[in-house]
Amino acid sequence: MTFSVASVLRRRWRGPKYLLAIPAIIWYLVFFAAPIAFIVLYSFGTKDSSRLVPVDLGSLSTKSYSAVFDETFFKTFRATLRISVLATFLCVVIGLPVAYFAAFKVAEKWKAIILAAVVVPSFTSFLIRTVAWRIPLAPNGTLSKWLVGMGWISDNGIQILETPMAVQIAIVYNYLGFMILPLFVALDRIDVRMREASKDLGAGRVATFMGVTLPLAGPGIVAGVLLTFIPMCGDYVTATVLGGAKGNMIGAMIASQFSGAQNWPLGSAMAILMIAAVLLALVVGFVVVWIAPRLAALASPVVQVVRRKILSDQSPASK
Amino acid sequence: MYTWGDYNDPDLVGALAGSTLNVTMKVDYYASNEDLITKLAASAGSSGFDIVVPTGPYIPQMIEKGLIQKLDKTLIPNMINVDPNYLAQAWDPTNDYSVCKNWGTTGYFYDTTKISKELTTWQDFIDTCMGEASGNCSVIDAAPNYCGMWFWANKINWNTETKADLDACEKFLVEEFAQHIKAFDSYPSTKLAEGAYSIAMAWNGDARQAYVRIEEAGGNPADWKWVLGAPNTELWMDNYCVAAGAPNAEAAHAWINWDLIPEISIKDLSYHGYHTGMKNMSQLISEVAPDLVKGDMIFFGDEQVATMQTQVITPALDRLIDILNKSKAKAGADLA
Repeated sequence: MTFSVASVLRRRWRGPKYLLAIPAIIWYLVFFAAPIAFIVLYSFGTKDSSRLVPVDLGSLSTKSYSAVFDETFFKTFRATLRISVLATFLCVVIGLPVAYFAAFKVAEKWKAIILAAVVVPSFTSFLIRTVAWRIPLAPNGTLSKWLVGMGWISDNGIQILETPMAVQIAIVYNYLGFMILPLFVALDRIDVRMREASKDLGAGRVATFMGVTLPLAGPGIVAGVLLTFIPMCGDYVTATVLGGAKGNMIGAMIASQFSGAQNWPLGSAMAILMIAAVLLALVVGFVVVWIAPRLAALASPVVQVVRRKILSDQSPASK
Repeated sequence: MYTWGDYNDPDLVGALAGSTLNVTMKVDYYASNEDLITKLAASAGSSGFDIVVPTGPYIPQMIEKGLIQKLDKTLIPNMINVDPNYLAQAWDPTNDYSVCKNWGTTGYFYDTTKISKELTTWQDFIDTCMGEASGNCSVIDAAPNYCGMWFWANKINWNTETKADLDACEKFLVEEFAQHIKAFDSYPSTKLAEGAYSIAMAWNGDARQAYVRIEEAGGNPADWKWVLGAPNTELWMDNYCVAAGAPNAEAAHAWINWDLIPEISIKDLSYHGYHTGMKNMSQLISEVAPDLVKGDMIFFGDEQVATMQTQVITPALDRLIDILNKSKAKAGADLA
C-alpha cells in the first residue's frame, strides 16, 4: 500500500503541458476576448435608445465607422497620442536614472527602500492621486499665492488646471512607477562581470553604458514602454479630472459616447479604431527601434573602411 | 443611493442615518440623467443601488424600461408633509413611483473682480464667455441645460423640436461658442473656490454652496454674484425613486420617509440649498432655520417662477446630446 502511494507520488505528470495555461486562458476568454467580441459586434449595430442595451443588431452596418472619421475625432486622437508619446519618453528619461541608481549604486537594503518608495504611492487609489494634483495646482492655492508673492508668475496664479499641461504632468506621475519597476528588474539582472569586463577592455563609463548596460536593459525598456504607453492611450481618469474641456483625451471621448450620448455603436467603433491605431503606433515605433541599430551596423563596415583610409592617409610614416 | 453630486447633508446620509434609523448609507454620484439611466440599464437590475434621484421628465422612460419599482406608500406616511403643489406631477400623477426631493433652477455665478460688466441675462453670459472670460468659463455638463442656455438667450422654448432651431443652436454652440469653454462641469462650486473659473453656469443650490466653499478657501464671497437665467430658465424637480432590484428596499423606504420629516428636510435644505417642497415652507424656515444664509438663491418669487420652464423629453434630446458631444470634441480639439 505504502509502495503504491509512493509510486503515484513519484509518477511524472504526463498530461499535455498547456493544461497549466488553462486558468489564464479561461480568464482571458471570459474577461477579455468575450467583451472585445461584444464591442466589435456593437460597433456594427445602430443606436436604439428604447432598449435596455441601446443597440439594434437587427441591421448591421458600418455607419458608426464612417461617423468616427471626422476631424474632431482625429484631433482628439492626435492630442492623445502626443500626450502619451511625450509622457512615455519623459517616464524613460526620469525613470532610467532612478532604476540605474537603485540597481548599481546602492547597498542591497537601500534597494528595497527605493523600490518601496516607488510602489507605496500606488497603495492609494489612482483617482485620489489624480485629484490630489488639484491642490498644488489650484490658482487660489497656497503654492500659487506664494509664487505670485515672490513675483515669479503673473497675478492670475498658476493657470495649469483644465489644460493639456495638467494632464501631461499628472499622467507622467501616474505611470512612472510602471516604467521604473521593469527597468530596475532588467538592470538588476545584468551580470556585474559584464560591466567590469567592458571597463577592463578599456571602455569608459559612457561607452560601457551605451554599449553594454543599455542593450542588456533593452527588454526592460520595451516592457516599461508597453506598460506605460498603452494604458496612457486609454486613460480617461486623468483627462476627466484635470483636463477640463481642452485636455480631452480619446478615452474620455469614448466614455462619453457610452454614458452620456448612449451611442454604444459609435463608442464601440471609436474603441476598436483606437485599439487598431495604438497597435499601429507600437508597430511603427518598434520597427524604427529595430531598424535603426541594424542600419547603423550595416553602415559600420563602410565607416571603418573610411576611417582606416583616413588614418593611413594621415600617418603614412607609421606604415 | 445613486444621486447628484453633494445633494444631501452629509449628516443625513452618514452618522445621523446610522444612529436614528440604523441605516448605513453609501452614496455614489452621477452628472446627468443620461448617466444614471445608462448605469441602471447596463446592469439590468443588479446595479446594487436602492435609491435613485432622477429628474421628473425622465421618470416615464425609467418606468417603461423597468429601472425603478413602485413605492410602498404605507412605508412613506410622511408624504403628507409635501406641499400638494409638488406632488402629482405630469410624469407620475399618482406618485406611485416617485416623491419630490426638491426642485431648483439654473443660472450662473461670476467673479465681479474679474468681470467688469453687470450681467443679467443668458445673452450676457454667452457674450462674457466669448469675450472677457474666454477660456475661463464653465458650463453644466448636461445636454438640455447646455443647449437651453442658447435657446433661452434667443427666446426659443428649450423643448423645441423644430429642426431649424436645433440646427442654429448646433451651428452657434459648436462652431462659435465651444472653443471658449474651459470645462464642462455640472458641480463647479469646489473649483470656483480653487479659482478655476471666473464665470460658471450652475444650478442655484450648487452656486449657493460655492459661496460657502469660497469662504472656506479664504476667498471673499462678496466678490461673487449669482444671476438667475433670463429671460427664461429651467425649473426642474428631482425625485426619490427606488431602483428595480434594490437589495435593501425596506431601508430605502425608511430613509426616504425620514427625509420627509419637516425638520430633517429643512436641515437638508440648509445644506444643499434647494427648495424641498415642504408644506408651509416660510413658516418652517422661520421656526427651524431662521438664520439660513442666501435664502434668495433657494426661494423664488412668483414672477421669477413664471419665467421657468419644465423640461419635456422629446425625440430632440438625442440631437441635444449630440450637440453637447460635438462641442466637447471641438472645445478639446482646438489646441491639438
